[in-house]
Amino acid sequence: MGREVSESCVDSLLTEMVSSYCDRFYANKPDLAARRIEAIGFQVGLQLSERYTMERPRFSDHLEAIKFICKDFWSELFKKQIDNLKTNHRGTFVLQDNRFRWLARMSVDPSPENGDLSQDNPPAENKAAQATSMHLYFPCGIIRGALSNLGIPCAVTADISNLPACSFVVRIKA
Amino acid sequence: MIVCVAVVGHQNNPLYIQSFTEADDALKLHHIVHCSLDVVDERVNNPKKSGPTLNETFLGLLYPTENYKVYGYLTNTKVKFILVTTDLDVRDADVRNFFRRFHAAYVDAVSNPFHVPGKKITSRTFAERVSTIVKSFGSSSAG
Amino acid sequence: MANFLAQFHTIKNSSDHLVIAVEDVSDLWPIVKSEFEGRLPFKRASLNNKTRNSVFVENLTAEFILTTDSRLRSRFPLEQSLFWFREPYATVVLVTCEDLDEFRTILKPRLKLIVQNDEREWFIVFVSKAHPNNDQATKLAKKVYAKLEVEFSSKKRERCCKLDIHSPEANFWEDLESKIMESIRNTLDRRVQFYEDEIRKLSEQRLMPVWNFCNFFILKESLAFMFEMAHLFEDALREYDELELCYLETVNMTGKLRDFGGLDRGDDQAALLNPGSKPLTQIVQDDSFREFEFRQYLFSCQSKLLFKLKRAFEVASRGYSFIISFSKALALRENILPFCMREVWVITACLALINATASQYKDGPPDIEKEFYRLQGDLYSLCRVKFMRLAYLVGFGTEIERSPVNSALLSMLPWPKPAVWPLVPPDASSEVLVKEKMILQETPRVKHLGIQRKPLPLEPSLLLREANRRRASLSAGNMVEMFEGRPIFNDGSGSDASTKISPSQKVRASSMSRTNSSPGSFESSIDRPMRLAEIYVAAEHALQRTISNTDLWKSFSSLEEYEKKYLELTKGAADNYHHSWWKRHGVVLDGEIAAVCFKHGNFDLAAKSYEKVCALYAGEGWQDLLAEVLPSLAECQKILNDQAGYLSSCVRLLSLDKGLFLTKEREAFQSEVLRLAHSEMKDPVPLDVSSLITFSGNPGPPLELCDGDPGTLSVTVWSGFPDDITLDSLSLTLMATYNGDEGVKALRCPAAIVLKPGRNIITLPLPPQKPGSYVLGVLTGQIGHLRFRSHSFSKGGPADSDDFMIYEKPTRPILKVFKPRALVDLTAAISSALLINEPQWVGIIVRPINYSLKGAILHVDTGPGLKIEESHVIEMQSYVDVSQSAADMAKSDAAQKEGSLAVDKNFEQLRLHDGRIEFPNWANNVTSILWIPIRAISDGLARGSSSVSPLRQSIVDGMRTIALKLVFGVSHNQIFERHCHFPSFFQTLAVHFTDPFQVSTRIADKCNDGTLLLQVILQSEVKATLTINDAWLDLQDGFVHTTKGDGRPTSGFFPLVISPHSRAAILFSICLEMSNAEDEAKALQPESILNINYGISGDRTTGAHPPVAVESPGPKGARQDLIFRSSLVLQRPVLDPCLAVGFLPLPSGGLRVGQLVSMEWRIERLKDFEENEISKHNNEVLYEVGANSDNWMLAGRKRGHVSLSTKQGSRIVISILCMPLVAGYVRPPQLGLPDVDETNISCNPAGPHLVCVLPPALSSSFCIPA
Repeated sequence: MGREVSESCVDSLLTEMVSSYCDRFYANKPDLAARRIEAIGFQVGLQLSERYTMERPRFSDHLEAIKFICKDFWSELFKKQIDNLKTNHRGTFVLQDNRFRWLARMSVDPSPENGDLSQDNPPAENKAAQATSMHLYFPCGIIRGALSNLGIPCAVTADISNLPACSFVVRIKA
Repeated sequence: MIVCVAVVGHQNNPLYIQSFTEADDALKLHHIVHCSLDVVDERVNNPKKSGPTLNETFLGLLYPTENYKVYGYLTNTKVKFILVTTDLDVRDADVRNFFRRFHAAYVDAVSNPFHVPGKKITSRTFAERVSTIVKSFGSSSAG
Repeated sequence: MANFLAQFHTIKNSSDHLVIAVEDVSDLWPIVKSEFEGRLPFKRASLNNKTRNSVFVENLTAEFILTTDSRLRSRFPLEQSLFWFREPYATVVLVTCEDLDEFRTILKPRLKLIVQNDEREWFIVFVSKAHPNNDQATKLAKKVYAKLEVEFSSKKRERCCKLDIHSPEANFWEDLESKIMESIRNTLDRRVQFYEDEIRKLSEQRLMPVWNFCNFFILKESLAFMFEMAHLFEDALREYDELELCYLETVNMTGKLRDFGGLDRGDDQAALLNPGSKPLTQIVQDDSFREFEFRQYLFSCQSKLLFKLKRAFEVASRGYSFIISFSKALALRENILPFCMREVWVITACLALINATASQYKDGPPDIEKEFYRLQGDLYSLCRVKFMRLAYLVGFGTEIERSPVNSALLSMLPWPKPAVWPLVPPDASSEVLVKEKMILQETPRVKHLGIQRKPLPLEPSLLLREANRRRASLSAGNMVEMFEGRPIFNDGSGSDASTKISPSQKVRASSMSRTNSSPGSFESSIDRPMRLAEIYVAAEHALQRTISNTDLWKSFSSLEEYEKKYLELTKGAADNYHHSWWKRHGVVLDGEIAAVCFKHGNFDLAAKSYEKVCALYAGEGWQDLLAEVLPSLAECQKILNDQAGYLSSCVRLLSLDKGLFLTKEREAFQSEVLRLAHSEMKDPVPLDVSSLITFSGNPGPPLELCDGDPGTLSVTVWSGFPDDITLDSLSLTLMATYNGDEGVKALRCPAAIVLKPGRNIITLPLPPQKPGSYVLGVLTGQIGHLRFRSHSFSKGGPADSDDFMIYEKPTRPILKVFKPRALVDLTAAISSALLINEPQWVGIIVRPINYSLKGAILHVDTGPGLKIEESHVIEMQSYVDVSQSAADMAKSDAAQKEGSLAVDKNFEQLRLHDGRIEFPNWANNVTSILWIPIRAISDGLARGSSSVSPLRQSIVDGMRTIALKLVFGVSHNQIFERHCHFPSFFQTLAVHFTDPFQVSTRIADKCNDGTLLLQVILQSEVKATLTINDAWLDLQDGFVHTTKGDGRPTSGFFPLVISPHSRAAILFSICLEMSNAEDEAKALQPESILNINYGISGDRTTGAHPPVAVESPGPKGARQDLIFRSSLVLQRPVLDPCLAVGFLPLPSGGLRVGQLVSMEWRIERLKDFEENEISKHNNEVLYEVGANSDNWMLAGRKRGHVSLSTKQGSRIVISILCMPLVAGYVRPPQLGLPDVDETNISCNPAGPHLVCVLPPALSSSFCIPA
């Protein structure tokens, strides 16, 4: 089953999906579009976790599963591991990817010098941020799908305060 | 030879169950598979039992009966694979190998975007693949 | 050495405790015996276990035996070494002595003699009989004891202790015990050492032919037994385990075929718990141990120790695996063992084990406990299976429930394969007949609800065939037959799946065939094959021979007994499983119990158990298994008249996978449901059919309605019923997604509905809803008395596009009701003016704002001065924006021309019925334009204006209004209002009408012959091209046309074309009419009329256009001519001036508000008039200064007489002070001479029409209010 597909193809597929859901199917309903994109990610995560956990012993606790996401799962997806994992040991984990591949080509100027400048043109900034976050529902869904398939129901959100670094916040439902 | 193979979902619901007997005792095999879930539960819930094979996907022999041997395999995603065979001397390696290939086939089947997770597996390719795996069972421990 | 075995065992059985020898030197034992034995058993002893670690043992039992006792005497040294374990472990030497000499001479040598044998662990107890009061004696005793100690005790070991009979010290007994313990410990260690050495020696040669297991066994067991006596059970157990291990690996090693055993009467009853069931001597012959007995013996020893260790759980677990492995061993020997020996043994073994462990088990940790119960369950069910099998063999098979669990269990363990099937005893014909009857009476278990199922197999293949084939084959003795019959050898499971034979099995089969020759004779076996009944009888007899246990046999004596036992076993298994992890096993077995209850009419219990089973299967979605149990449950409920339960069961049956039942079966279920529904149910039960009837909105966008609109909602309903089903009523609830307070609305289906199997489309009337978006809620309905409800959205339907995200899918709104908004827009097609007084098309653009105008009706009401040309049709056509309008126009014109309106659906002629116009359907959704022929009436002639006095005509008098009211909407509930909050229903459109021209005139030139050129300027007022075909002027009195014609300009001008909003002029040459005053008096025509005959060519879409022809318009060529009349006022010019009034120029400084200025006029008499003497005082002139008092303040006399000589050329200046009041261009004051006819006054130079007044200078102190 060694069939492969080029990264650029995947990237453009992602952007295409996002744009078609945001601009066509659910043009003026961003929340609906978000849900749908997240749902697609969920299923993808479900299936990927099914594949990537083959040939490995079962995880004994949540942390192991999260570590699996950070290490093997992430490197399968992005050829790199999560750069930083934080947790409060009460079911919340923060996975930070310092250069999240799917945002690498996002045309939001994250340079700090226009960070202050961004105050006086909030609309543009917001629009850009919204577009970016739209692209983040997919990976969020993937993570959630993978974890819940591993028996860890959780909620996943993404934080892009400092691009292109992106941190995913996983809250495990008790 | 293998009498029956089954995939059981994480809610212990049958996802795929195929018996390879001419006789119409499929129900019987359903029962065997279903009850073997008890053993799986026991292995998983009972820490003492799963001492060395802690968290290993291959659960080994579930039922040590004389005519049927029931083997189990539990994935990370709580999906169970059950194998019922009538062979009296089964090499552990063969069973592990079987499960590995079976698992791979399953993963490919559920990776089909048109497969609804948690629903029965209806893919024909999957069925064919499984039957080939079953046929080749025990013939070679490699592969 | 084997011959010691018997002795060994007698010893072993006789003695089970340590022995302590008492060397009573001076007959003290009788005195101290009681007190010594009072110490037994030792509360707490510390010994060394096999690994030389000290362990404490409780209540160590021991026995004091005098050395003179027969038991300790006369032993051969060999025996001693062999049965060392029974030798004393300590030797207590009892002495007393009052005299030193006696001690030195007699006692000491004797003691020396006693203790010289260092084999023994010994110590001396010195008993002093001295009375405490007799201190002489006590002193002596002390002395002697001191000597004794000196003699026998050593530094490293204290071997003496002293007992005062009369006053024993408190610590004596402790001392004694410790000494005894010390001795025992040492002895034990030494002996353990000894045995171990021996054993090692033996086991080194284990694999040599000289190897003798018997010796090994004796040594091993001696050691084990010694440990056991010393309460070192752990070690004992380990010894036995090693022994078993060694046995198992050596027993089959030696080539020669051993006697297996198990052929004696009573062997069928497992002896795995009582070691003494058989003397070892029977087990062993020439050092070969019979496996059958010996393994049981070993296990019994182990279990005994385990019980002593309070490890009943381990007994159970070891026991279970022992039974399994042992029954395998039995299977290998089956051909030599009695018929079904194996089954019987397993049954008894299980029961024995169950009873023993259950009684012994004390509560352990929870996980252990769970597992213990599981083991019990396993034992029970194993026992149960074997029991059922035997029952089957004796012909109770018909009574066995053919359930999956039984089928599976029976097939998971091999069936008996005796070398020869038993034969019918000669005198059993009567029994055969009985069985025959039983077989004939056997009715195939009919499934409930008329479900036909092939019963699951219990037996391997047909028992008949097998039994006979086996016999035949054996009689013929041919191997081939054997092999193709192999499946039955291989496994009883009847799954003839074993096509490839694993080599080991081959060997087995052949070996069996070889050994077949041992028992049984074949003479009688070559005869007609047995009938089934005969087989039963034969089996029964054979079993009776096999089973020695009477009450086990009783269970096969009759059906009742059998069922009693069967229930007992099943219950046992189920209950134990319920306490373990294996819930499923338990529940499933409950189902078996239920089957029996059902058979005995205990439906209540049966139903309860079946409920549990169904819940289990349904919960985990094992439909195939569920389909097996559910009918039974349904049957129970039916019998119990539990209608609710029965209905739901039927529904569940119907909602199972289609493949699981035949169509006619499913139809039967449905008919059951219907029958109940229409039968009299005392309490109508609500039934949940979510699994059977599902519903969903139709794919596609939701139905969109406007506020207050009713509609029809069509939903898809999936019916899982196999056949059409009639719903007496059906209703769906709508739930508002946003405003929860909206609650749910129920939509009722008006009539009964017939649901086809599968997909149905149902349309429901939808009353007006509040704004918001709605989703489907619950489907409820009624079949007969049966109220059902379904909560589930369509999953039964085809997976719609994103069904794979069903768990994520937001419930799709099915209905959207919009907030109030403008639904249609009515505007006037054109803003430019139309021709007044002519029938004109007024265009009204009707633009629906994505809302259908189906059946809309327009009420038209014309305002004052406006009337609709009722006589003419109203035209309606689809409206396209201006760019294409022309083309569209042309199209519709063309359509008109051919008179084929039908082809062009977007043009239609409508009639006005008492002010109402009904819209055609094609106009429902397209923007259309409505052309209404209308005429604006205005009486009164258009007035022309002269250059002198331009008259402004206001736009207002050309304005007319049309009131419109559009009634539309699904039920004409929508009434068009311009903005919905606008109170009135009506919208009024303003339409502007006007004359074609605005006329103004001026005198272009005045020739000296008195001819005047009158220029008439025509300003086109309309957005259309006007063509003047003719124009003539009816002059007022005093004017005549110069040319003696009708006063038409040269016709060469015409037709004169005036493009929109441009102007044209016509010249008329006229001159004054010389007429005398008297006929002037009768002045008829005060003003002259301009007549213009013109045509108009315009487009109604842009503005004014040819008037609507009331009758159908003729050919376009014949343009109808229109007449336009306008009145003009001409002034006569001054002819013979006698006075000239000149306005003297104003001061150069100009005028300023508030600045006095004197206006001056010069009056000059041009000629005197002698002929008229009317004026007697014609030397003075009346003057009058008129001025607008708003603009001017006049100082001085406005009116007065000035004298002016009648002489020609006399002149006078009239000046008047006046002050301008307002700045700007104002008309200056005018000087008038009322007495003089205007015609005699020439204004020369003429005064200005307007003068400029500057605003006041700031410095001016004028007009500061005082």
